[in-house]
Amino acid sequence: MLSKLNTLCLKGIDGREVLAEVYIASGLPAYSVVGLPDAAVKEAKDRVVAAVRNSGYDFPAKRITVNLAPAEIKKAGTHFDLPIALGVIAASGRLGKKPPARFTDTYFIGELALDGALRPVAGVLAMLLALKGRGVTAVVPAGNSAEAAISGVNCLAASSLKDVASWLSGENELIACSAAATVQTSSGSGNDFSEVKGQPFAKRALEIAAAGFHNVLLVGPPGAGKSMLARRFGALLPPMTFDESLETTKLYSVSGLGVTGRLIGERPFREPHHTISDAALIGGGSSPRPGEVSLAHNGVLFLDEFPEFSRPAIEALREPLEAWKVTVSRVRESVAYPARFLMVAAMNPCPCGYLGHPTRECACTPLQVHKYRAKVSGPILDRIDLQVQLSAVKYADWEALPRGESSAEIAGRVLKAIEIQRKRFKGGAKANAFMAGAELRRHCALPEGASAVLETAMNKLGFSARSLDKILKISRTIADLEGASGIKREHIIEAVQYRMLDKAAALAAGF
Amino acid sequence: MGAKTETEKLARVRLNFFACYKSDWLLRLMELYGGAAELLKRKAAEIAAEGGVMMETAERLVAQTREADPEKELLAAEKAGVAVLTVLDEAYPELLKKIYDPPLVLYVRGDLKPVPAAAIVGTRKATPYGLRTAARLAGELAASGVAVASGLARGIDTAAHQAAVEAGGVTWAALGTGLNDIYPWENKKLANRIVEAGGALISEFPLDKGPLPANFPRRNRIISGLSLATVVVEGGFESGALITAKFALDQGREVLAVPGPLDSAMSRGPNHFIKNGAYLAENAADIVACFPPEYLFGLKPFGAEAVKSPEASALRALSPDALEAYNVIAAAEGGLNADEVTAKLAWQVQRAAAALFELEISSLLVSRGGRYCRAA
Repeated sequence: MLSKLNTLCLKGIDGREVLAEVYIASGLPAYSVVGLPDAAVKEAKDRVVAAVRNSGYDFPAKRITVNLAPAEIKKAGTHFDLPIALGVIAASGRLGKKPPARFTDTYFIGELALDGALRPVAGVLAMLLALKGRGVTAVVPAGNSAEAAISGVNCLAASSLKDVASWLSGENELIACSAAATVQTSSGSGNDFSEVKGQPFAKRALEIAAAGFHNVLLVGPPGAGKSMLARRFGALLPPMTFDESLETTKLYSVSGLGVTGRLIGERPFREPHHTISDAALIGGGSSPRPGEVSLAHNGVLFLDEFPEFSRPAIEALREPLEAWKVTVSRVRESVAYPARFLMVAAMNPCPCGYLGHPTRECACTPLQVHKYRAKVSGPILDRIDLQVQLSAVKYADWEALPRGESSAEIAGRVLKAIEIQRKRFKGGAKANAFMAGAELRRHCALPEGASAVLETAMNKLGFSARSLDKILKISRTIADLEGASGIKREHIIEAVQYRMLDKAAALAAGF
Repeated sequence: MGAKTETEKLARVRLNFFACYKSDWLLRLMELYGGAAELLKRKAAEIAAEGGVMMETAERLVAQTREADPEKELLAAEKAGVAVLTVLDEAYPELLKKIYDPPLVLYVRGDLKPVPAAAIVGTRKATPYGLRTAARLAGELAASGVAVASGLARGIDTAAHQAAVEAGGVTWAALGTGLNDIYPWENKKLANRIVEAGGALISEFPLDKGPLPANFPRRNRIISGLSLATVVVEGGFESGALITAKFALDQGREVLAVPGPLDSAMSRGPNHFIKNGAYLAENAADIVACFPPEYLFGLKPFGAEAVKSPEASALRALSPDALEAYNVIAAAEGGLNADEVTAKLAWQVQRAAAALFELEISSLLVSRGGRYCRAA
C-alpha cells in the first residue's frame, strides 16, 4: 500500500515543501530511503522502527520504500522521522483502508525518540514560515511549540507518535501551539557606556559607527578597554524592527541555537575566537550551516585580536562585508544566508602591544610591526571606514575621570541620525556607509573652504584618494548626528581623525 | 689609468670579497708584497709563513678571493650607476685616506662632493627630543654648506638624513650592507632622495652583501673618517653611536655631544662624553667652530643662535583652541595622545579633533604612533 504525507525541509534559511511517500510491497524485508537524503535521514530507520513498535503498532516485515520528493533538494535533519513513521503506519493500513482525511493540508515535523516520544528539532520557525498565509496546519513537537507559534501558521503541538496517530484517526485532539510568555530582558544591567571611563575618541567613533553603519577598527594597547567598548556597542544601535527580529530568529532557528521559543529582540553580538576557521566564520560544511557572520545578522560581529585570525578567515570577510550575504556553494546545492552585520575589529598597535605607550617600551622591530599590520590587508581595510586609536589609561587619571554618557543618551542621537538617513535613502536599510559614486557626490557636497582642508590632509598627512571617500562618508554621518543638512568644515576635520592608519607616518612604522 | 693600476684595482676589488672583521692586516700584507695583485699570486702557505697569519685564515683568504669575480662586479656596478673607488683613484676622499685602515674599496652611488662634512650619529631608539635635535642640527649644517654624514639607520640617523635633504643640502650615508641591499628596508626611499639631492650612499662591501650584524660597527669608521667632527645626539652605553665617536677620537677628529635629560637612558652616552671633555653642541655653529680653519672657506656664515622655541609667528597664527592644545602638548615630556589632550582640557572630542588637525598641518606637531609631540 502507498501513503503520502506533507513535510518540510530547509534550503538555506528558507523552508521548502517536501512530499514523503511510503510504499510497502511484499517481498524480502527491506527498507530504503530515496530522494537525496543525508546520513541523519538514513539513520531515521532505526528510530522509526523502535518508535513504531513502542507506540503499539507493528512494523511490517515487508519491502518498504520511502521517497522524499522533490528529489533534487538535499534533505538534511532528523525531522523526517515523524512523517516517515506515520507513513509506515498508514501504509500498513492501521489508520483505516483509506488515508485519513487529516493527511491533506497538514505538514508533519518531528524527531522520534525510541519510545515514540517527539523531540524538538532545529529550524522549525524557518520551515514553517514557508507555509505562512496558506491556511494549512502543521504538527510540530511540543518542545518546538513556542517557536512554532511565532511563525503565525496554524500549528498543533504533539508529544508522541501515538498522539499524532490517534489525532489522525480522529480519536483525540491536539492542542494548538502557544507563544511563550514574553520575558522582560533586563537591559542595561552592567553593560552601559557610562561605565567606560576615558577613551573619548573611541566612544565618539562608535557613536558615528552606529549612526552610519560604518565598520570600526579599534587599535590600542592591551587593557585599554577595546573589548569593553565593543561589548557595549550593541546598546547604541536602534531597536530591531519586527522583520529584523524574525530574520535573525530564523537564522538562529536554522543553526539550532534558537529553540528558546522567543523572537530574538536584542541585536545579536557575536564574538568568535581568533582561531575560528573560515568555514565556521562564513558558513559552510557538507550540509551548509550559517556561520558567525550570519549569526551576527542585524547585529554586531566583534573580532578581537583581528590580525591573529587566519588569513583565509580575514579574507573571507570581503564578500559579506560588501554583499550583506554569504553564498555557500556545494556540488548539489547552493544556499545563501543573509549577513548584514556591523563589524567591530580590535587589534594591538604592534605584536607586543605597547607601541606608543606612554610608559612602557615597545619591544618590536619596525619590520615586526609592519608584518603585523600587513595581516589586515588593503581590501579589508578598505571596508572599514573608521579607525581609531585607544590610549592606555593611567590609574591616577582613571580615578579622576568623570563617568561618561549613558548608552541611552548616545542611542538617542544615533536614532535621530538613522531617521535622517531613512529619509535620505527613501526607506530601506541603506546607510551612509554604503554610499558610492553618484550618491556620494550628491549627498556629500563639500562646503566652501573644505576642499582646502582635504587637500592639506592629502599633502601633509599623506592620505590617499581612497581615504578621501571614507572621510566624506564619515563627515556625512557626523553631520547627520548633529542634524545638519550639509557637511561643514568641522565635520571633515573631525572625520580626518578617524583615519589614523592612512597617515603616511603611520605606514612607515619605523621611527 | 695605466694597465698596471687597472690590474691592481681589480685585485683590490677581488681581495675585498674576503669577509673579515678587521681589514688592517690585509693592508699590512699588501704593503709586504707591494700590492693586492702580488698578494693574490701567493700561495696560502707563503702568506701564512711570511705574513704572520694563521694557516687557516690564509687558506680561507686564498679560497674566497679565488671564487670572486671582480670583472662581473665592476660591470654590475657600472650598470647600477655605482662608482667603485680604491685609494688609487683620485675621487677617493682625502680625509678617508688618512685614517688608520681606510676601506680597500669604496662603492659610491651619487656624488661625493669635496665639501667639509660633519657626522651626526645616535641611537635607533631615539626620543622625540633626540629626533628633533638631530633634525635641527642636520638642517642647519646642510643649509650652511656642510655635508651631513650618518649611517642610514633608524632613529637619529634617519632624522639627520631627512632634515639635510629637506634643507636642500648634501648628506652622505655609509651603509653596513652592499649598495644593492639597502637596510633597513623602510629607508630605501630616503636613500634615493639622498642621491637625488646631490648626496651619496657609500659602502665598502660588495654590492650584493646582505645585512650582517658584524659589519655595522665597522662601517662607523667610514662615517667618522669622512667627517671633520662627529656629533653624538643620543645613545646608551652600548650604542653604535659611541663606537663611531671612539673611531673619531682614534682618527684625531673632533667629538661633540648634545646634552640630554639626566633621567633618560638615551642621554647617558652623550652626557658621558661631555663629562670627559667633548664639546657641547647646541647648534651648527658650535660644530663648525671645531673645523680646522682651512675648511671654513666657502661655508655660508650664520649666527650662533641658541635653540629657539617654534617661530613666534607660527604660534600667533594659531586659533586660540589650537594654541591652548599646543601648550598642553609641549609641556608634556613624552607627548600626549588625542584622548589625553581631550581629558586634560576637558573638551568635547570635536573641539580637540579640530585643534589637533590644525596643529598637525601647521607642522608644529608631529604624531608618532598616535602620540603628538612638538615638532621643534
